Amino acid sequence: MDFSYTDEQETFRHELRAWLEENAPEGWLEDPELPDDDAERVEFLRDWQRTLADDGWAGVHWPEEYGGRGASLVEQTIYREEMARINAPPQINLIGINLIAPTLIEVGTEAQKQRFLPKILSAEEIWCQGYSEPEAGSDVASLTTNAEANGDGEWLVNGQKIWTSYAHVADWCFLVTRTDDSGKKHEGLTVFLVEMDQDGISTEPIHQPHDDRTFNQVYFDDAVASADLVVGEIDRGWDVVMTLSAFEHGSTSIYSIEQRYLALLEYCRTETRNGTPLVERDRIRQQLADFDARIQAAKATHYRNVSKQAESGTPGPEGSMDLLISDELRHDLLNFAVNVQGPAAALWENGHNAFDETSGYIRSYGAWIAAGTGDIQRNIIGERVLGLPKDNKSKTSHRSE
Amino acid sequence: MDARLTEEHERVQETAREFIESEGGTDLARRQADGENVVDDLWDELAGLDYTAITVPLEYGGFGEGMVYLAALLEAAGRYALPGPLPETAAVAVPLIRDLGTDDQRSTYLPSVADGDLRLSLAVYDDETEPLPGSIQMGAERLGEAETAEFRLEGTKTLVPYAGETDVVIVATRTRESQGYDGVSLFAVETDHDAVETTRMDSLDWARPMYEFSIDGLTVDEEALIGPLHGGGSALVTAMDRFSVAGTAMLVGAADRAVELSAEYGTEREQYGQPIGRFQAVKHRTADMWVDMQGARSLVYYAAWALDGDEPDAARAAAATKSFAADRLHRVFGDDIWNHGGMGFTWDHDAHIYLKQAKSWRNFLGSPEANRDRLIDARLATERNR
Repeated sequence: MDFSYTDEQETFRHELRAWLEENAPEGWLEDPELPDDDAERVEFLRDWQRTLADDGWAGVHWPEEYGGRGASLVEQTIYREEMARINAPPQINLIGINLIAPTLIEVGTEAQKQRFLPKILSAEEIWCQGYSEPEAGSDVASLTTNAEANGDGEWLVNGQKIWTSYAHVADWCFLVTRTDDSGKKHEGLTVFLVEMDQDGISTEPIHQPHDDRTFNQVYFDDAVASADLVVGEIDRGWDVVMTLSAFEHGSTSIYSIEQRYLALLEYCRTETRNGTPLVERDRIRQQLADFDARIQAAKATHYRNVSKQAESGTPGPEGSMDLLISDELRHDLLNFAVNVQGPAAALWENGHNAFDETSGYIRSYGAWIAAGTGDIQRNIIGERVLGLPKDNKSKTSHRSE
Repeated sequence: MDARLTEEHERVQETAREFIESEGGTDLARRQADGENVVDDLWDELAGLDYTAITVPLEYGGFGEGMVYLAALLEAAGRYALPGPLPETAAVAVPLIRDLGTDDQRSTYLPSVADGDLRLSLAVYDDETEPLPGSIQMGAERLGEAETAEFRLEGTKTLVPYAGETDVVIVATRTRESQGYDGVSLFAVETDHDAVETTRMDSLDWARPMYEFSIDGLTVDEEALIGPLHGGGSALVTAMDRFSVAGTAMLVGAADRAVELSAEYGTEREQYGQPIGRFQAVKHRTADMWVDMQGARSLVYYAAWALDGDEPDAARAAAATKSFAADRLHRVFGDDIWNHGGMGFTWDHDAHIYLKQAKSWRNFLGSPEANRDRLIDARLATERNR
């Protein structure tokens, strides 16, 4: 057992760190702040991802032949640590980079890989994932958005998707449709790569509780899907969904949570109430320490998961554990961070306070739901790890099969 | 990085499981709780399997392994709440003597430990309610000014694990006025001495007995002093960290077993026409138990690794391990009772054995609150350098 990094892994870290020192957006290292204006922000993020891609730092886990770095799981962990350390801007095409491209690499045609992968990497084309529907959240197999062959070698798509992150800026959609409803629920699904900029598709942003509008309803009204852009086989989309789902649970956000914790610690060290620094108040000290212990536990657990996965090659249900731990930890930490603001917790923006987590706190409720609610993750653990009997509903859910 | 147990660690766990199961599994703990002394016979067998030699350095007939190896073994032992002062001997006393002892002390004690002829324990508390280090008050008075010093020990230690089943107890005394760990000196005291009396206390965890340890005016020479006079405190703190990690490793093993028991029961037990594990109230609670157990296990492994390598964050990791596990594993054992319904609340079910072990462990060698204080102090001292 060895929790330390090898020299080779440390070299990877130092290479990345040096690159970030050199190439982080101007002023970012001193003051990491995204543009307020929506359009400006998208442009900023596209630029950032292009900068990463140019030097092979976007999609580090992709094979080298597709412009990645072929990074090992441990190197990916280092990558997340270092990105969290500088509070790096997010990659706008994260869904493309982390979920869609790896799926295409696994099951896409050579033509699809050549056509799409380079542009995913450079964020020239941004992707969204058309899974959830108003009547089908985690239960993907019960979706109804329909695709029908029109006889001219194209498919016509009709229906509605929801909770689609980045659909309003996306160029392409990884769309799961129903092409046959005569069999079992998870049979008769087909995945298409669909161009967003067409008459048959309209998006409507959903106003989220933290005042953001990053996810959407997407309406398909005789939208055209090209027959050569089927992923996998017609009516066999379930296999593709399963492939993508394995990538979906294979990461952690514990490092960015740790950075927020360190910022909170610094805030509590300097902020006073009645002349006493927050960190000297017993109840606050105790809670900070408890978060520290939980973060240490989450990190060591992630290291164990990564080491296990590096050996077995396949992400196991441990990803559900990582997700469950980080979601709960993030929420509890941000809740506490808002609480220690004192009466200013009543304000949306705390003005002069350097430490402001209100928006993040509200947003954490969404993180709890994304990629399957905590309940879904607990089902996965209960059924796949502990061998408990499946409940009737989850028999058909892609998250737990 | 490879944060997994090695194949060798896993093999040790497997053989330990097989051995303990062949001896009756948790029946050993039940027999110990019933007042039988199972430790003597058991210890010979543990020595036969070389478990007592694990942390003893190679040159003294041991395997020279550290906390990671021992934690892997103790995890297997904890599945059955295995009685016996293995954590006290292998995790606490051996490293103390190895690191602080004179050549004479090492060659006196360590080969005998490896062979299974010597068991040791640790006495820190003078008082059952006063926390550490304040509780360390027993004096050791230096006699005369002779070149070879002699000390006179007098007083009663309390909460000494297995004192009645061990040969030597390392006693923490105060040789200089102080409230902290400064001025603490450690003495090795033989339990069969006329001036020493061990009295079994009515412990919550009957399978792991606690003793009063009275010394009625005992004169020892310098050979009994482990480490520097007045300066044994920091070594004691590290020893207690090892103890915390070792004890928590046992709780993790127990928690692993408790999750297993809950999962088995949830699969077999039917109510309202279906297995109860199909109900999310049961399924999710069991999943949470597993996640908490894994978190505690990760902390044990990390802290054990950090202690072995003398990593700068070893003390912080040990404090995190103790505070996290004390609260969360305690809940795991309670949930196991709950999952089993009425069956869980019987003497025959193992859940109460694990629960009592966890509860008596909670405040021993530092409450979760005390460990969180240590943890945050350590974090605040290093955080600026990050």
